[in-house]
Amino acid sequence: MTAILDSPVVARPGGGKKRARTRDRGLIVFALPSVVWYVLFTIGPLVAMFVVAFMDWAGLAAPASFNGADNVTRLLDDERVLTALKNTAVHLAVSLPVIMVGAFMLGYFLNLKLPGHRILRVIMFVPALISLSAMGMLFVAVLGPTGLVNSALDQVGLGAHATAWLADPTWAMPSLILVTIWSGLGLTGILFAARLSAIDDEIYAAAELDGANHWQKMWRVAYPITRDYFGVLTMLQYLWTLFGSAGMVLLLTRGGPGEATSTLAWLVYRFGFRSPEVGYSQTIGLVLFVLGIVGLVIIRRVFRARY
Amino acid sequence: MAVATSTTVDNQPARPVVRAPRRKRPSRFTPGLVGSYALVLVYAATLVLPLYWLFISAFKSQLDAVDAPFAPTFSSGFDNLTRVWDLLNLGDAMLNSLYITAASLAVTLVIAIPAAYALARSQGRIATVFERIYALGFLIPGFAALVPTLLLAIQLDLFHTREFMILYLPASAQPLAVILLTQFMRTVPQELEESATIDGAGRFRVLRSIYLPLTMPGIATISILNFISFWNDYLYTLVIVGANAKVRTVQVALPTLQGNQGITDYALVCAGTLISVLPVFVVYAVLNRRMESALVQGALKG
Repeated sequence: MTAILDSPVVARPGGGKKRARTRDRGLIVFALPSVVWYVLFTIGPLVAMFVVAFMDWAGLAAPASFNGADNVTRLLDDERVLTALKNTAVHLAVSLPVIMVGAFMLGYFLNLKLPGHRILRVIMFVPALISLSAMGMLFVAVLGPTGLVNSALDQVGLGAHATAWLADPTWAMPSLILVTIWSGLGLTGILFAARLSAIDDEIYAAAELDGANHWQKMWRVAYPITRDYFGVLTMLQYLWTLFGSAGMVLLLTRGGPGEATSTLAWLVYRFGFRSPEVGYSQTIGLVLFVLGIVGLVIIRRVFRARY
Repeated sequence: MAVATSTTVDNQPARPVVRAPRRKRPSRFTPGLVGSYALVLVYAATLVLPLYWLFISAFKSQLDAVDAPFAPTFSSGFDNLTRVWDLLNLGDAMLNSLYITAASLAVTLVIAIPAAYALARSQGRIATVFERIYALGFLIPGFAALVPTLLLAIQLDLFHTREFMILYLPASAQPLAVILLTQFMRTVPQELEESATIDGAGRFRVLRSIYLPLTMPGIATISILNFISFWNDYLYTLVIVGANAKVRTVQVALPTLQGNQGITDYALVCAGTLISVLPVFVVYAVLNRRMESALVQGALKG
């Protein structure tokens, strides 16, 4: 419709600025549905979070009222938040480095195109295809009291070590971390492989002439070249682990046993839906959001290109 | 994953610089490389073994699943599959998943394609602002706004409906879809559009007959990516559509197998999980290469 308004004469670069501008205005209308849709359904709720975070709101059906900074003061001496903060830190501190370093080396390895690399690539895609709920059910079954791991232990005569991995206070968090690594390593590795394949063979060849082994080629040649990409993937993995733990915890442990696997993201969900204190849940959500941004800034600094 | 610090170097320092035709495959297996290979195989095994176990457990009796975990006994045939299908009402769940996925995908494409066209061809300031807004979207993980999104659903009187997901999912998919497609649209030569315009074609016509056919690979890519993420969506669908058997999706139905006491019937859970992952794996089997490249391109998704 708007196309009619535009002059059919195509504006030449430099010539007729005004005409170019009206032409642009007609064009930009094409983008409006998408932008409005996007702002309404994703940016809007995000902004609303900042309002709800300062409300006293018992449940979705209950009346809401502002209570100033009460939620924030409450948060500061809430044991559960402190525990969740600690759990989140442990979860991130172990899984993030392992996934990033492991995936980078996996990517380098796949890129060597050794025999079998095709089938390995296909296998590495598996976690990217499985839904969260299927992954959750799979691991509840694998790690359950009579699940795959315990059956396997039984078969090799180590049945005494069998335990309900997800319900055991010592093993619940390590299990969650292992599942996180399991699901993150493969696809990130393939992404690194794709990026590393863009590196010219000549560069490796030159390093080889200098007697570099794989370890050195990986960290002294490939890594510096792809450093910025490493940073971007680290950011994404950081965000995914920080926020994504909610769904995984919901399916695997529901924060238990006790508070052993209660992460911040889980608390947002828990206070939002299980023991509803909607306002408070969003205050924690705000903390999570700030942690996300702070983390991004730090990761960006660390991986800034140094030429 | 501490790969053995491969101390051994393929160390032939004084190798005469005879430029032998470079071999494509470095066949020199150093101990470090062999060690790494072993570690990669271990990881691959942790990916494959649970799936193998899942598959065979789906076809055996509850007893066998515990007593003979690795033997493919097929002792109960398709019993578990039909039992879980009826128990969870998976027929309806599949249709609900299909409805939400297909409708969301259609909406996503209908609004993203013109937007990408506009951003690719506009030189104005507004286009730059729009692009910034989308770029911001990469950094906002969906989970962050779960509760306020639910409030929005209530406001719109669409709580516990599938239709709200059909509004929400396309919105969440816009940043990736538009940015990826814009890159594809930029590769279309502008001269094509100019000559069509001179022949009197309007913008819709140009978009439909020039850009659409030429950017099909990009459209395929975002369709595949969004098919996976819409079909697999769990948390939002759980919270907004809910677990009512009439409207719930496969992903929401499946975890209801786990009661408060955890799992009691492993074979049944394995059968349910198998059914839920099957559609995506079937599509993967058909579109394998295309899907792989789509996932790699879409990696920037938050």
